[in-house]
Amino acid sequence: MAVAALRASARALRSGSWLLGTWQTQIRDTHQRASLFSFWELIPMRAEPLRKKKKVDPKKDQAAKDRLKKRIRRLEKASQELIPIEDFITPVKLFDKARQRPHMELPFEESERRALLLKKWSLYKHREHEMERDAIKSMLEAQQEALQELQLLSPELHAEATKRDPNLFPFEKEGPDYTPPVSNYQPPEGRYHDITKVYTQVEFKR
Amino acid sequence: MAAPVRRTLLQAAKGWRRFEGHWAGSLGSRSLAPAAAPLSSGSPWRLVGALCLQRPPLVSKPLTPLQEEMAALLQQIEVERSMYSDHELRALDEAQRLAKRKADLYDEEEDEQNVLLVQDLEDVWEQKFLQFKPGARITEADEKNDRTSLHRKLDRNLVLLVKEKLGDKDVWILPQAEWQPGETLRGTAERTLATLSEKKVEAKFLGNAPCGHYKFKFPQAMRTESSLGARVFFFKALLLTRGDFSQAWKKGQHVWVCKEELGDYLKPKYLAQVRRFLLDL
Repeated sequence: MAVAALRASARALRSGSWLLGTWQTQIRDTHQRASLFSFWELIPMRAEPLRKKKKVDPKKDQAAKDRLKKRIRRLEKASQELIPIEDFITPVKLFDKARQRPHMELPFEESERRALLLKKWSLYKHREHEMERDAIKSMLEAQQEALQELQLLSPELHAEATKRDPNLFPFEKEGPDYTPPVSNYQPPEGRYHDITKVYTQVEFKR
Repeated sequence: MAAPVRRTLLQAAKGWRRFEGHWAGSLGSRSLAPAAAPLSSGSPWRLVGALCLQRPPLVSKPLTPLQEEMAALLQQIEVERSMYSDHELRALDEAQRLAKRKADLYDEEEDEQNVLLVQDLEDVWEQKFLQFKPGARITEADEKNDRTSLHRKLDRNLVLLVKEKLGDKDVWILPQAEWQPGETLRGTAERTLATLSEKKVEAKFLGNAPCGHYKFKFPQAMRTESSLGARVFFFKALLLTRGDFSQAWKKGQHVWVCKEELGDYLKPKYLAQVRRFLLDL
């Protein structure tokens, strides 16, 4: 725009220098110019100088920050992504029809045998449960009697016997296996690569 | 019923000392509180803390025929209701391919492709399994019926029994110790455990409370005004240290028995009380 103004003024000067009338128009606004040969003052610079955007900038920044905060708030309010339970997600390869076994009809004898076996088993388990219950009951009774005797004998000892034992729990013990441990067993060499997927739930804290 | 005398097994070689003398001596040497009578209330009963040390089973019990049948049935049902696994699918494919190859009678293509058949894999696995020699479930001690060894009857709970000389008789009892003033009864049981063997024996005591008791009166010859009889309180503990430490005890002085064999060793009334709190496994 300045260049165009400069060109226009140069043209005006050139054209004016040839004709008397234009020369007079040139003199018209000399009162506004500092010197006749000053080009840069021909360019109309009467507009206000460019402001340094003092007030508008902070406003814009503040508006941007507010928008960001609103977005964060919306994200927080929305339900968080839950950690997937891998047991509940059926792998895709198991939906293959070829994997299904052909349905076999059981012969009559087989189904009869199974029904009878299940009945015998339920009876056996019922009896086993009763035996266990009686054993536990007798153990508890023996303990209660012992505690009562101790109470009659000496109350202080009874008080100490009925105190909680803080060293009892946590108690960890490995159960029985099928075969006893071999004394000079050499386990196979190798490294253990743990490839379990660990999910973390990101918590948005304000 | 002879009176149980507090003696360590290591001192079993010493002769039988008079009960009152031993009691006074032990009190004088060890206890701090004035102990004219064994209990503060001056009752005529002696207090004894006994230890029921159990070795938990190392091996699971064998299945009864009914249990075996049921296990087989459950396995069968599981296989019927399952889907084909990768291994089985591979086996089916190979069976089909072999049948096709035999039917078509030309084996130009895919000759060397599947060198490793499913059958070969299974054979390799079988070989590997046979190479592993697991420990024996029925040990030598079982066959020799050596009851002092800890390595017998791996599927049962074993209880420690100790032979004490009481009066002129040898009696099999659970290891016990006389209670001393200033300690709890459980402390008495722990003391018994410590004096059982020179090596440190680790045992987990199942709580502060006794699991059973047994009371008896001394024979007439031994009764005095202050000691009419004794009351034994049993405390259960589970043996944690592995390994045989039968060398620490004298021959013929201890025995590890399961619940059925208790009857061979214990007196009837004592046995009756002990059986109540031993879980029948």
